[in-house]
Amino acid sequence: MASYILRRLLLTLPVLAGIVLITFLLARLSGDPTDLLLPPNATDEAREAFRSVNGLDRPLWEQFVTFAIKAVTGDFGTSLRFEQPAMQLVLDRLPATAELAAATMVIALSIGIPAGVIAATQRGHMADGLIRAIMLLGQAVPSFFLGVLGIIVFATWLRWLPTGGRGDWSQLVLPATTLAFNLVALIARVTRSCMLDVLKQDYVRTARAKGVWESRVIWLHALRNAFIPVLTVIGLQVGLLLGGVVVTETIFSWPGVGRLAIQAIYARDFPVVQAVVFVFAVIFVLVNLVVDLLYALLDPRIGYR
Amino acid sequence: MSWTRRSFAAAMVVSSLALATVFAAPASAQAPKTLTIAQGFDPQTLWPNGTTASDNLNAGNAIVEALLWANPADGKIEPMLAEKWERTGPTTMKLSLRPNVSFTNGEAMNADAVVQSFAVFLDPRQTPAYANYAAAIDKVEKVDNLTVLVHTKFPYPAFELMLTQVYITPPAYWNSVGLQGFGQKPIGTGPFRLTEWVKDSRVVMERNTAYWGKGPVGFNRVIWRPVPDDTARVAGLTTGEYDIATNVPISNIQDINRQRDRRVIETPSYRIFQLILSSLEEHPSALHDKRVRQAVNHAIDKKAIIDNLFEGKAFALNGQLLRQSQLGYDPSLKDYAFDLAKARALLTEAGHPNGIELTFKFPTGRYAQDREVSEAIAGMLAKAGIRTRMVSLEPGEFLRQLRNRELQPMAYIGLAPLDDPDFQLAQYRSSWRYAYIRNAELDGLIDAGAREIDVAKRREIYQKAGRLMHDLAPVAFLFGGYDFYGVNRKLEGFVPRGDQRFFLHNVTLKP
Repeated sequence: MASYILRRLLLTLPVLAGIVLITFLLARLSGDPTDLLLPPNATDEAREAFRSVNGLDRPLWEQFVTFAIKAVTGDFGTSLRFEQPAMQLVLDRLPATAELAAATMVIALSIGIPAGVIAATQRGHMADGLIRAIMLLGQAVPSFFLGVLGIIVFATWLRWLPTGGRGDWSQLVLPATTLAFNLVALIARVTRSCMLDVLKQDYVRTARAKGVWESRVIWLHALRNAFIPVLTVIGLQVGLLLGGVVVTETIFSWPGVGRLAIQAIYARDFPVVQAVVFVFAVIFVLVNLVVDLLYALLDPRIGYR
Repeated sequence: MSWTRRSFAAAMVVSSLALATVFAAPASAQAPKTLTIAQGFDPQTLWPNGTTASDNLNAGNAIVEALLWANPADGKIEPMLAEKWERTGPTTMKLSLRPNVSFTNGEAMNADAVVQSFAVFLDPRQTPAYANYAAAIDKVEKVDNLTVLVHTKFPYPAFELMLTQVYITPPAYWNSVGLQGFGQKPIGTGPFRLTEWVKDSRVVMERNTAYWGKGPVGFNRVIWRPVPDDTARVAGLTTGEYDIATNVPISNIQDINRQRDRRVIETPSYRIFQLILSSLEEHPSALHDKRVRQAVNHAIDKKAIIDNLFEGKAFALNGQLLRQSQLGYDPSLKDYAFDLAKARALLTEAGHPNGIELTFKFPTGRYAQDREVSEAIAGMLAKAGIRTRMVSLEPGEFLRQLRNRELQPMAYIGLAPLDDPDFQLAQYRSSWRYAYIRNAELDGLIDAGAREIDVAKRREIYQKAGRLMHDLAPVAFLFGGYDFYGVNRKLEGFVPRGDQRFFLHNVTLKP
C-alpha cells in the first residue's frame, strides 16, 4: 500500500511539471501585463523600469528557467499587482476556498445521496419523477444566475441572509448552496442509476430473503456497493467545484482563491495565475489519489500493491 | 483493508457533522458608528502613489495624505499638508508645511519627510504610474524644518495639480519597511489609521485621535469591503450593509432613489468618450480627408445614444474635448449636428459617392455598455454610407493596441486624464504615445498652453486649440459619462470627483 502511494505520488511529478510549463506559456500568450498595470499615459522610461523590475524584458526561455528553478523551492515569484509572493497570496486565500468547498460537498452529499437512493427505490413513482425533474433543473441552471437569484430573494426581499462576504456562518449559506446545487443533481443522478443496478443483484435478494429490514438492505447493503462509481464522480467533480468557486466567490464577495484567480487573469498577473493553477492541480491530483485509496476501503476485493 | 457497515454509517454521520462545524464559524458583530464602503476591488496597496486605481487611492488616502487637495465641490485646490504655497519664480514653488503634524507612529511631518517623499515620487522604478507627472520636476530642496522649495524644469501651469498627487510618508518608517511593506501597513497623517486588513474581505480603519484637522463627524471606524459583482453591491446597499456603494449600474438608480434611506449621487466623470479617427500617414484610410472625419461626426446621433443607452445620464461635448468646468472650454463651439444628408454630401465631396468601408475597433467590458454603444454607432454610420467591419477587443488587448497606435483607423475609446487641460490635450500632440493625429499648429498650441502660467492667456490658447480640433475633427466628439454612487441618506458632505476619487475628511454621518 505504502509503495503504491509513493509510486502514485512520484507519477504526479511529471504531470505537475507539464502543467507548470503549459501555464507559463499560455499566460504569456495573453500579452504584456505592462499595458494593464500601468496607466496608458505612463512614460516609456516608467514602462521599461516596470518591465525590468519584473523580469519581463528578458527572453522567454530565460524567464522560464529562472521561474522553474525558483518554483522547485515553492517560490512562484512576486505578484505584479500586489508586489507580494504569489504563492503566499494563494495560500492566504486557500482556507476560505476550502471552507466553501467543504460546506458545498457536505450539502451536496447529504442531499444528493439520499435523493438518489429515494429516486431509485421509488422508481416510476411520483417521488422519482419529482427528484429527476429537480436534478434536470439543477444541472441546467448556471451558478451565476442562481447566485444572483439567491441574493435577490434571500438577501434583498426576505432579508434572511447577508449579500456576501465571509466571517459569519450566515454568509456561507448562499454561496455554498449555489455551488452545491449543480453537484447535488449530478450526485443524485449517479447514485440513482448505480442503486438501480445494485438493487437487481443476487446479494440484495439474498439479504431480503434472510429477512433483513428493507431500510438496512437499501442504506447499507445496496448503497455501499453503489458507492464506488459515486465516489469516482465526486473525485472528478472536484475540478468542476474548483472552477465553480471562481464564479461563486466573485458573486458573493467570498475572499478565496477563485476570486484571486479571476482578478489575476484579467490583470495578466502571471505569477499569481501560475501559483493558482499549480495549487488547483495539486489538489485535483491528490483528491483523485484519495478517491482511488477509498475504493479499497469500500470494496475489500480491491487491493493496491 | 475493509470497511464495516458500521464504519460506513459512521462516516455518513461524520460528514453531516462536518456541515455543522463549518457553519459554526464565529459571528462578527459590527461596532457602532461604522461607515461601510463597498468598492469593486480590494486595494492592492494602501500607499496612494503605488497605483492610480481609484479603489486603492480612496482607501489609502484615508491614511496617507497629499500636500494639496483638489476639492471636488468646486474644483479649487486647497491646502492639505502644505498650508501655503506660492510661486517665487516662473519655475519655483515655495511650500509652507502645516506645523505640529505627526504621523501616527510619532514621526514628525516636516521638510525631511516631504523631501524624501518627493525622492520616491521622482523615481520611476518606485512610482511608474506617476512618472508622467513627476517628469516636470527638476529638484526639491529643504529650506528649513517647515519650508520646501520645488523647482520645475520649465514654467509649469499644472504645478498645484501635480502637488495633489504627492503623498507624504514618514521617512524612518519608510526606510525600515520599504515600498512593499508600506503598502501593506501604511502610516500616515490622515483621519484614519489601519487596524485590520483581511485580504479580499475587508480593510478596517479606526479614527486617528490625533488628527490635525476636524476630520469626519458621526463615525469612528471605516470598513472597506471589496464587492466585485454589481448586483451584490447594490443589494448590500439596499439592505443597509453598506453606506456607500461605488459604480452603481444605471438600471438600478430609480429603485435606489425610491428607497427611504438610500439615494444615488451622480458625478460627471472626467472620462470623455470619442471615436479615434486616425489621420496618420502610416494608417491608410479614407479618414485622411478632413471632410470624411467631419462626415463621421455628422452621421452619429449622440442624443439618441445618450437617451436610449444611458437613460439621459451622459452629457454632450459641444464639439470639443474640454469639459465646461475646465479652463479653455469654448462656449461658442457647438456640436456637429446630426445630419445624414450633410454627412453623405461631405463623403461625395471627398470623392466617395458610394460611401466607404472602415475597420471599427472597440473594447468589450472596459467601459459601461461599450459594445452596445459601438454597435449603435456602426448602425448610424451605415445609414450615411460608412460601412464598418467591427472588431471587438478584450480590454487588455485594447490597451496594448492603444499604446502601440494600432487602434486605427477608427476606434471607440473613453479617456480620463487629470483635470488640467494640458493633460487632456497633450494626448493629441503628435509626439504623444497614442496620438492619432499629426498637426504642427496643434502641437504648437499644446506646447504653448503647457508652459503658459498666465490664466487668461492660457484660456485663449486652449480655446484656439479647441476650435482647431473642432475643424480638424481628429476624433468624433461623443459624450461625457457619469459615475453613480449609492449612498446612505444620512451621509452629508460626500462629494465624489470625476476621477472616481472621494474623500472622508469632511463627511458627516448623521445619527
